[in-house]
Amino acid sequence: MDHPVLAVLLLSSVAAVVSIAGVLPLLRAGGVPRVAVGWSHSLAAGAMLGAAFVLMTATQEQAVGAAGVGGLLGISFVWFTHLALGTQDLDLDRSDKSGAYGYKVLLVNSLHSASEGVAIGAAAMVSLSFGVFVAMAMAVHNMPEATAQSAVLRSRGVGFRDAAGLAVVSNFPQILMAVVAVALIQAAPALLPWALGFAFGALVYLVLAEHLPGSYRNAGPRTIALVTIVAMGIVIFLGGDRG
Amino acid sequence: MDPWLLVALCGLVTALATGLGAIPFAFVRNVSPKAEAVSHTLAAGLMLGASFGLVAEGTAHGSWQTLVGAVVGVAFILGVQRGLEGRDLQIGGATGRSARQMALMVIVMTMHSFSEGVAVGVSFGGGTTLATVITVAIAVHNIPEGLAISAVLHSRGVPVWKCAWWSIFSSLPQPLMAVPAFIFVEMFRPALPYGIGFAAGAMIFMVLVELLPEAYDTERKPRVALLVSVTLVAMMIFQRLLG
Repeated sequence: MDHPVLAVLLLSSVAAVVSIAGVLPLLRAGGVPRVAVGWSHSLAAGAMLGAAFVLMTATQEQAVGAAGVGGLLGISFVWFTHLALGTQDLDLDRSDKSGAYGYKVLLVNSLHSASEGVAIGAAAMVSLSFGVFVAMAMAVHNMPEATAQSAVLRSRGVGFRDAAGLAVVSNFPQILMAVVAVALIQAAPALLPWALGFAFGALVYLVLAEHLPGSYRNAGPRTIALVTIVAMGIVIFLGGDRG
Repeated sequence: MDPWLLVALCGLVTALATGLGAIPFAFVRNVSPKAEAVSHTLAAGLMLGASFGLVAEGTAHGSWQTLVGAVVGVAFILGVQRGLEGRDLQIGGATGRSARQMALMVIVMTMHSFSEGVAVGVSFGGGTTLATVITVAIAVHNIPEGLAISAVLHSRGVPVWKCAWWSIFSSLPQPLMAVPAFIFVEMFRPALPYGIGFAAGAMIFMVLVELLPEAYDTERKPRVALLVSVTLVAMMIFQRLLG
C-alpha cells in the first residue's frame, strides 16, 4: 500500500475494536472467576511474548546497536511511566471497591496500549504483511486483556456497555502511537531499528510487570506457564519467517 | 591431528568455558532470599535470551521441526518435575523444593547441551578451517549459561567451585555429541531443528514454571521485570555480535 499511515490507522483500529470480544465473557451471570482472569492475563502474555520475538527477528538485518539501545529505551519508557504514576506495584486484578483503583487500572492499560502501537507501526514499516501479522497478534492479545480489565471494572459496578466502550477507548493510544511511529519512521527511516528495539523492550517489560505476576497468583505456575508458552508458540510459529 | 579429535578438543574447550560463568559469584558473599530472587531473575533473563536466539536459528532450519522439538521439551520438564516431586533430595545444605529446583536446573541445562553439541558438530561439517572462530564463538556463548546455573546454585549456598563444576558438567554433552554429529553430519543435520526446538522449549518453560513465579514471591514486580528484560536485551545484543 502506498499510504502506510492509512494502513496502520486501519490495522490498529481493528486491533483496538476487536477487544470488545474480550468483554463478552462478562455477560455470564456471576462474572468471571479469578482463575479465568489469570488465564486471560497469561494468554495476553504469551501473545505479547510471541510478538516481541518476531519483532526481535525483524531487527536481525537492522543495526544491532540501535536496536539494543532502542530496547533499553522501551524498557525505561514503561518503567518511568509506572514510576511517575505510582503504579509500579499495582495489581491489575484486585476486587476492592475503591473508585480510584478502577481509574488507575484504566490508566495503566491505556499506557500499555501505547507501546503496542509502536510495535504495530514499526512492524508495518518493515513490510505491510509483517505489520498485518503484528496487528493480528495485538488484536488477539487485546481480547483477554479486555476480559481482565472488564472484570475489574464490572466488580466496581461499571455497566456492561460502559465496560465494552472502555475496552476500546483504553486502546486508543495504540492507534495514536502506531500512526506516530509510522510518520516518524517515514520522515527518518534510520529510526526503524530503534522503533523495533523499543517495541521489543517495552513488550517484554509489560509482560513481566503487568501480565504474569497476577496470573501466577490466580491460577498457579504450572497452568500459567503452559498457557503462556502455548500462546507464544502459536504466534512464533505463524510469524517466524515474516520478519 | 585427526579432524574428529580436533572437534572433540574444541567441544571440550567450549564446555570448560561454561565454568567461567561461576567466577562472578566468587565475589558475592550475600546469600539471602533477596539475593536468591535476584539470581533467579538474572538466570531467567539469560535463559530467555538464549532461547530466543535458539528459536530464531531453529525456525530457519524448519518451523514444524522446531515446534515439535519445543513441545517435547515442555513435556520433558513436566515429566522431570513429576519424577522429582516425591523425592527427598539433599544438595549441599538445601532440601525439599530448593533442592528439586537445583536438580531440575542442572538437568535442563545438560539436556539442552546435547542439541548444542550437535550444532557444533554440524557447523564443523563444512571442514575444520573455521575451528578457532566456531570454538571461540560457542565458548563465549556458553559463559552466560554457566552464569545462569551458578546463579541458581550459588544463591542456595553451593560453593563457587562446585557451581563451576556443575556448569562444566552441563556442557559435557557438547564434545560428546559434536564428534558423532561431525562424522555423520548428513545423518545429524535433519535432527538439528528438533534438538534446537527441544532446548528452547525446555528453557522457556523452566523460566515460566520455576524461576519467575519464585522471583515474584520474594521480589517486587518492577525489579523482576527490569532485571529480566534488561538481561534479555543484553543477551540479544551479545548473541547478535557473536553471530
